[in-house]
Amino acid sequence: MTKETLDKILKIVLIVGVFTLPLWMSSPAYLQIVILLFWYAYITTSWNMVGGWAGVLPLGHSAYIGIGAYTSTVLAIHYGLSPWIGMVAGGILAAIVGIIIGIPTLKMRGAYFALSTMAFGEGVRVFVENTDKLGPFVLNGPRGICIPLQESFTNFQFMSKVPYYYIILIMLCIALFVTWYMSRIRIGYYLNAGGEEPEAAQSLGVNVARYKVIAMGISCFMTALAGTFYAQLMLYFYPKGLLGLDLSFEIAFISLIGGRGTLAGPVIGALLLRPVTDFSRIYFSSMLPGLHLVIYGVVLILVMLYQPRGLQAPLSRFYDWFLNKMTGNVVEKEVKS
Amino acid sequence: MAELEIKNVSKHFGGLKAVDQFDLSIEKNQIFGLIGPNGAGKSTLFNCVAGVYAPTYGQVSFRGDEITGMKPWDICKKRIARTFQLVKPFKMKTVLYNTMVGAYIRSTNPAEVRDMALDVLERLKLADEKDTLAKNLTIADRKRLELARAMATDPEMLLLDECMAGLRPNEVDEVLEIIRGIRDGGVTIFVIEHIMRAIMSVSDRIAVIHFGKKIAEGTPEEVSTNDKVIKAYLGESYVAT
Amino acid sequence: MNLLPPASAIRENEVKMDFIIQAIVSGILMGSIYGLAALGLTLIFGVIKVINFAHGSCLMVGMYAAYWVVTLTGANPYLALVVVVPMLFLFGYFLEDFLINPILKAQGDVREPTEIIVVTSGVWYILDNITLMIFGAEYRVVQTSISGKAFELGQIIVSTPKLYGLIATIIVSVALVWFFKSTKLGKSIRAASLDREAASLMGINQYRMYNIAFGIGTAIMGVVGCVLIPFYYVFPTVGVIFDVKCFIIVVLGGLGSIPGALIGGLVVGLIESVGAQFMTSTWTELIVYAVFLAVLFVMPSGLFGEKKDW
Repeated sequence: MTKETLDKILKIVLIVGVFTLPLWMSSPAYLQIVILLFWYAYITTSWNMVGGWAGVLPLGHSAYIGIGAYTSTVLAIHYGLSPWIGMVAGGILAAIVGIIIGIPTLKMRGAYFALSTMAFGEGVRVFVENTDKLGPFVLNGPRGICIPLQESFTNFQFMSKVPYYYIILIMLCIALFVTWYMSRIRIGYYLNAGGEEPEAAQSLGVNVARYKVIAMGISCFMTALAGTFYAQLMLYFYPKGLLGLDLSFEIAFISLIGGRGTLAGPVIGALLLRPVTDFSRIYFSSMLPGLHLVIYGVVLILVMLYQPRGLQAPLSRFYDWFLNKMTGNVVEKEVKS
Repeated sequence: MAELEIKNVSKHFGGLKAVDQFDLSIEKNQIFGLIGPNGAGKSTLFNCVAGVYAPTYGQVSFRGDEITGMKPWDICKKRIARTFQLVKPFKMKTVLYNTMVGAYIRSTNPAEVRDMALDVLERLKLADEKDTLAKNLTIADRKRLELARAMATDPEMLLLDECMAGLRPNEVDEVLEIIRGIRDGGVTIFVIEHIMRAIMSVSDRIAVIHFGKKIAEGTPEEVSTNDKVIKAYLGESYVAT
Repeated sequence: MNLLPPASAIRENEVKMDFIIQAIVSGILMGSIYGLAALGLTLIFGVIKVINFAHGSCLMVGMYAAYWVVTLTGANPYLALVVVVPMLFLFGYFLEDFLINPILKAQGDVREPTEIIVVTSGVWYILDNITLMIFGAEYRVVQTSISGKAFELGQIIVSTPKLYGLIATIIVSVALVWFFKSTKLGKSIRAASLDREAASLMGINQYRMYNIAFGIGTAIMGVVGCVLIPFYYVFPTVGVIFDVKCFIIVVLGGLGSIPGALIGGLVVGLIESVGAQFMTSTWTELIVYAVFLAVLFVMPSGLFGEKKDW
């Protein structure tokens, strides 16, 4: 069997396995865990559009998750608008906000952008936490919003976890597809070029700042959709959980550890790291509070020092080695030029 | 009408006059050279034309249209391309990818752009390296890639900033041949260079810049025998009386 | 029709004026301390061109160090400076040496590797949570000879420890300016900041310069720590509050500018304390963010930053 055939077979098995997961994992508790894993992977993939390609570091992306969640929920509660439509509305609002923030800050050096996104993210959290009513809309401040139980498709609510699973799976596939497709057309080339050598890109006709803003808009739109999904999944959310620095930083770090600017990196980061965090939080938090964050910090530093392109680099090499081993391939040593 | 007109351009950095009341006219399809001692202001003048700097005073126009202070990407859209003295390849991408970035200004169709890029690489004799990562190229090939990338935008005018620095003599000859070929294809070329035999042999006209001011202009012969130029480069004692 | 406001209202306005003046004074005092904290950050940025996300955690370490020195030896917090400042200097020096320099060396041609932000954030998480694990989450307070002391300047009450904070800020700022302008080491550091490669060609070991600069930055946090413990609670996440404030101040004032950090600190301090007269502290927080974003849109290099810095 050739390496390519084995590779194809493994990929097909993976895809089939993922798409039929609910059939062989029937426990709703486990399914919920996987749903949240894919949710993180979706968010990191969306984040990657700015953080990976535009080459800057957005550290306030949780604000857009919040915008998505609050917009669709508030519209549903006040106007009876289906959360599906509210989701799109939230996305558009998030994109507009992201573009407004992006226009002045994406022209600047990376540090300014990182700090502005941080400040904006925190600002949104503080604002929402302290606002009970925004005009006619009830935001409920720190207590968050509870969504009344009313199961139906138009209400984006399901009794079983299975529909949620497929929805987030499809969202993740779409996000990955959008990322992949963009990389093959002009915007992808321009973003890559602008991120690596902005001066050269500019001399080749690329308005680097403008393309970064476009990437920001797309990213914020997609991120906001995750907010609505979360709201509909949990039927309850509050500012401390969805907004604020902790989540923003977590998203950024997971993507960086997995490997920014690549297709698989953010997904790998999410799938590897979230379980570690959850595991250590469940088992250690009573004895040693905050241990999981210490582990997190250490992993972060180690990866940055020794694998700055992210864990996807050694993992792909390992996968390649594995394929060769399994198919008995003899590979010549790579000649270093 | 001149292809490129530089009218009374000055660029001041605080108190430093990097370019001082510079006038220049370049005709279509000329190869126009710019020489001068180190720090004379050559790259600064280039950057004023290419949009990296906006001149403090003066105007630049291309085919009658004013381009003073336009941004680099808009300048490229006006069919003016440039290379950088310190080459800036997209290191983590292949030669083909690098070139395609340039070609994307002409079309948005990926297949078309790929063909355009391959075409340019053929003409510049880089086609064999199309799948090599830019960071693994030799310095000579990197310079050629810089040129290929700029040519992929299909410019009418090309600004070359010391594209032969650090090359061996035979590599310099290859580049000179390429430059002549580009001119034969209808492109006007404005070139900064330090390697005297190179720029003297390839230019139609040469201007000399010293402390930001133009001190001479003419054919290569006229310039090389010009007293002021000799004084600027070699010092007073070398001026033949 | 009574055109004159009632007598009680006149007195109310007088009293309000007093409150505002008091708020301004307190704002200046606290603002100077914020400025001092931001100084360390702007210094590190100005020299090494990196943002130290562990900045707040360094402050927290400084505060705990000061707390323990004072609690264990009963010494005056300003005497504790003698122990805390060198300790923090060494801490910063080695942090830079082991964690940051390797990245700078590996990415020699990248002006501002983003890995540094990630690494320093990792340090932040680790420090905050190890402190949490070792010392617990309680808010600690230390009783010193000057805690709670104040003196009166006419109608205005001036808090003594905060006044000492202002004095410390002035001393440190003057010392820093002198250091960078007049000493050989200071000038070497400035050279290293302008261009990594060029400085090394001049015989300056630029990575050593970075270590020293970072050490100075964290040493300043040691000073702030000693200054704060007479009146501020000590707890593991105290750094986070100062962290965000410092970032805002530093961008407001211009990254790398010493006067910018000080003035930015004053601005934030004034907004907080004057704002507190009219609205809750969370809304003043929002105003600080709003001002920050506004400055960013209008004058992105900050009040004193270099324009061509991007």
